[in-house]
Amino acid sequence: MNTAAATVATPGPARRGLSSWEFWGRALVVPYLLIFIAFVLYPVGYGLWLARNPSSYAKLFDDPIFFRTAINTVVFVLVAVNLKMVIALGLSGFFVQSRWWIKITALVFILPWAVPSIPTILSVRFMLNPEWGVINSQIFKLTGLDGPNWLNDPTLALGFSMLMHIWKSLPFWTLIFVAGRLAIPGEQYEAASVDGATRWQKFRFITWPSMMGLYFTSTILSMIWTLGDFNSVYLLTGGGPADLTHVLATLGIRYLRLDQLELAMASIVVAMPFVLPLVYVMMKRLSK
Amino acid sequence: MASVSFRNIQKAFGKVKVIHGISFDIADGEFVVLVGPSGCGKSTLLRMLAGLEEISGGEILVDDRVVNDLESKDRDIAMVFQSYALYPHMTVRENMAFSLKLRKADARATAERVATAARILNLDALLDRFPRELSGGQRQRVAMGRAIVRDPKVFLFDEPLSNLDAKLRVAMRAEIKALHQRLKTTTVYVTHDQIEAMTMADRIVVMHDGIVEQIGTPLQLFDHPSNLFVAQFIGSPAMNVFKGTLRRGDGTCRVEAQGIAWPLTEREGGREGQPVHYGIRPGDISLVAPGEGIAAKVVVVEPTGAETELVLDVGGERLIVVLHGRTEVQPEQTVGLRIDAAKAHLFDEGSGQRID
Amino acid sequence: MSRGFSWRKVSTEAQLLLVGIPVLLWTLIPVYHLLLFAISQRDSATSGRLWPADPTLQNFGIVLGQKHFYLTHFWVQIGNSLLIAVATGLITLFVATCAAFAISRLKLRGGRTVLNLALITYFIPAAFLAVPMYKTMANYGLLNNRWSMILAMVTIAAPYCIWVLKQASDKLPWELDEAARIDGASPLQLFRLVYVPLMVPSLVAVGTYALLLAWNEYLYGFLLLSKENEIPLAVALGNFLSADDSPWELLMATGFIYALPPAAIYYAFKRYMVSGLTAGAVKS
Repeated sequence: MNTAAATVATPGPARRGLSSWEFWGRALVVPYLLIFIAFVLYPVGYGLWLARNPSSYAKLFDDPIFFRTAINTVVFVLVAVNLKMVIALGLSGFFVQSRWWIKITALVFILPWAVPSIPTILSVRFMLNPEWGVINSQIFKLTGLDGPNWLNDPTLALGFSMLMHIWKSLPFWTLIFVAGRLAIPGEQYEAASVDGATRWQKFRFITWPSMMGLYFTSTILSMIWTLGDFNSVYLLTGGGPADLTHVLATLGIRYLRLDQLELAMASIVVAMPFVLPLVYVMMKRLSK
Repeated sequence: MASVSFRNIQKAFGKVKVIHGISFDIADGEFVVLVGPSGCGKSTLLRMLAGLEEISGGEILVDDRVVNDLESKDRDIAMVFQSYALYPHMTVRENMAFSLKLRKADARATAERVATAARILNLDALLDRFPRELSGGQRQRVAMGRAIVRDPKVFLFDEPLSNLDAKLRVAMRAEIKALHQRLKTTTVYVTHDQIEAMTMADRIVVMHDGIVEQIGTPLQLFDHPSNLFVAQFIGSPAMNVFKGTLRRGDGTCRVEAQGIAWPLTEREGGREGQPVHYGIRPGDISLVAPGEGIAAKVVVVEPTGAETELVLDVGGERLIVVLHGRTEVQPEQTVGLRIDAAKAHLFDEGSGQRID
Repeated sequence: MSRGFSWRKVSTEAQLLLVGIPVLLWTLIPVYHLLLFAISQRDSATSGRLWPADPTLQNFGIVLGQKHFYLTHFWVQIGNSLLIAVATGLITLFVATCAAFAISRLKLRGGRTVLNLALITYFIPAAFLAVPMYKTMANYGLLNNRWSMILAMVTIAAPYCIWVLKQASDKLPWELDEAARIDGASPLQLFRLVYVPLMVPSLVAVGTYALLLAWNEYLYGFLLLSKENEIPLAVALGNFLSADDSPWELLMATGFIYALPPAAIYYAFKRYMVSGLTAGAVKS
């Protein structure tokens, strides 16, 4: 075999300084860093700078809408997230069963997550229309009574926003929990069957211990993201009636549209003491 | 000329020193095996030669040229990995041609070299298959083919047969050895299996805890291990070793252990009363009638077909004896052992060094 | 183990159906209602029926033909959605693949920090970043430029993509890189000839994720873009809401069309999406 093509590279001087591997390691991460600096670091810094004036916060706390919003947000996050997580955990047990029709149901089930929010949330909004919406029309047909003005009652309106939120995000978390269940070795359940465990006992002693970590991590992450759910409230109620169903995500935008930039930023900064600890916990759990 | 030299090589991972100054030379065309237990540093040494690990101290020379600061691709070496490391998304042909493609070699020359290598390794029929369609042995051959196509100065093998089953291992050993005889390329081969070392090497480097215990030809290591570690590492079943005391006097040398005098040839080293280790290989003990040799009780008889392995008890010490052919001996019987004094080994108890 | 009929089996199936049917209903009701409106005539749409009196496809015709003044820019707008989504997908793929390669295969020092920065960005809700992002884009002079939305979407999508790709990269055996280095590959050759081909399934999952994220996005489009012929379809749909006498059936028909591509893409790439995206979630 003669050396037709392969050559021995003439030995260059000792390579001190950046090897090409180190160089490209840094170079290839530059695009992301640029994006990060220009569109995360700068906006965050700028936002904090906009929120530097203490009088913004005074104005914020004076605004009755803010107080109401804060309560709405707390209710929304605590209720919607926990309800959603429990349902997702239960449904994940359903979806791991191997039946052909369950597989088809799973395919359909993913739909709310895959499709955009606007058409579906507006669809529900129209269903709830007090005059010509499907729901009230059917109630009238069946009972001759007028159905309630769903979205005009702040409690009902917020409730429906939460329902929309759950509708949209449930599939994602159910999928996560399904993956979590599938990671549990089947032999553990078989051994438990042999030992005579009931379905509940299997859940309590096998499924739950394995899923516990995932459940808590998911709950925390979902809380953070639910805080940022703008669409479910804005597209269904617009924050109404009379600004009574705003949550933090929509409130900031409301101030922005009214050109009250400092209030917008202040309302976001106010949420940080709640968001940041959750983010910290997530970081600890995930970046092991 | 493709010699390899290690000059006072040191390696540390952080604060942990794993190689403590290793020096030896490999001649052009030699097949050298680095052997030793897990963690002895043999793979690390190989990877330093390959350019995959930083060299903490010392120099490595290939063909009289210091390669410490050269990148792997500039050292003109090829490596066969334990897990073959074939590119899963490329066919066998593309795998073998990859290095040439990287250098933008002429297509026809590349095809020629790939075809030649394929012929040598019997891969002609497999050239258009993907690695996942091949058996372990076939993949190993593709990995070797990839190395051959490079036509390097040195072949490096990192435990290439560890992932193969026993029968395949034996077959591949012969193939690798035949390849070396044909190509005569300097080869550095790492394994933890001393049988591989014994059957394939021109010379063996026995490593342990980051130092070289002994370098020699297989038979040198077998007949004259320079310390206890090498004595017990080389040879299967392992050498019988037990503690005793060296006795001189009446003009003979012997070792006292379990109240018995074990025979030795005359030697200069060693003082009267020195605590020693006595070593005798299972194949150097023969059975005689109970009264005519050292008394031993048979514990287990293990016929392996062509040979018979016996586990014997001598005064509480276990000995293994390997006999050719069959035996009538039964467990619980008492037999006599005759030891060829010329084959007995003596090691200092403290240092483990050979006493000649 | 089929011993034929058994009460226990019936009960199990019944229990499963008891869960499955409500789940199906719950999932499909808003979608069905959307379709209901989309195929209803102008007047009967608001009649509150469960099935249109005379179902028709003419609404879709009106939408696709841009035959209503609310819809005069339909094709441009859906084109904007497409442009923004595809650009986001491609740019995010590029940025994330390079970063994941650098962190995972080139073992960049400080790679952990970059990964953590990305993770933090991923966790902070995008709605909170929207307000300062709006002002930032204004400061950069990018308002009413589709690039503002593309870059904003890339910023939001990239962190998760980098994380998923890094997890997937870590599963590639190290010896492949070593073998390639010994074969003589430079970092870029390793990236192009070994890394990318082996990462294709993850790349598809990640690119699709970014693309769908941008296509489905409303808030950022709503804030950053306002000209009729520059807004994505999502924002146009939202604009329908501002008037009281909007043609709701056309709105729903448009919405249905808008919702089709993500559903189709999701089902087409289902296998990649599920494995690619949940791989990072369950750390086994």
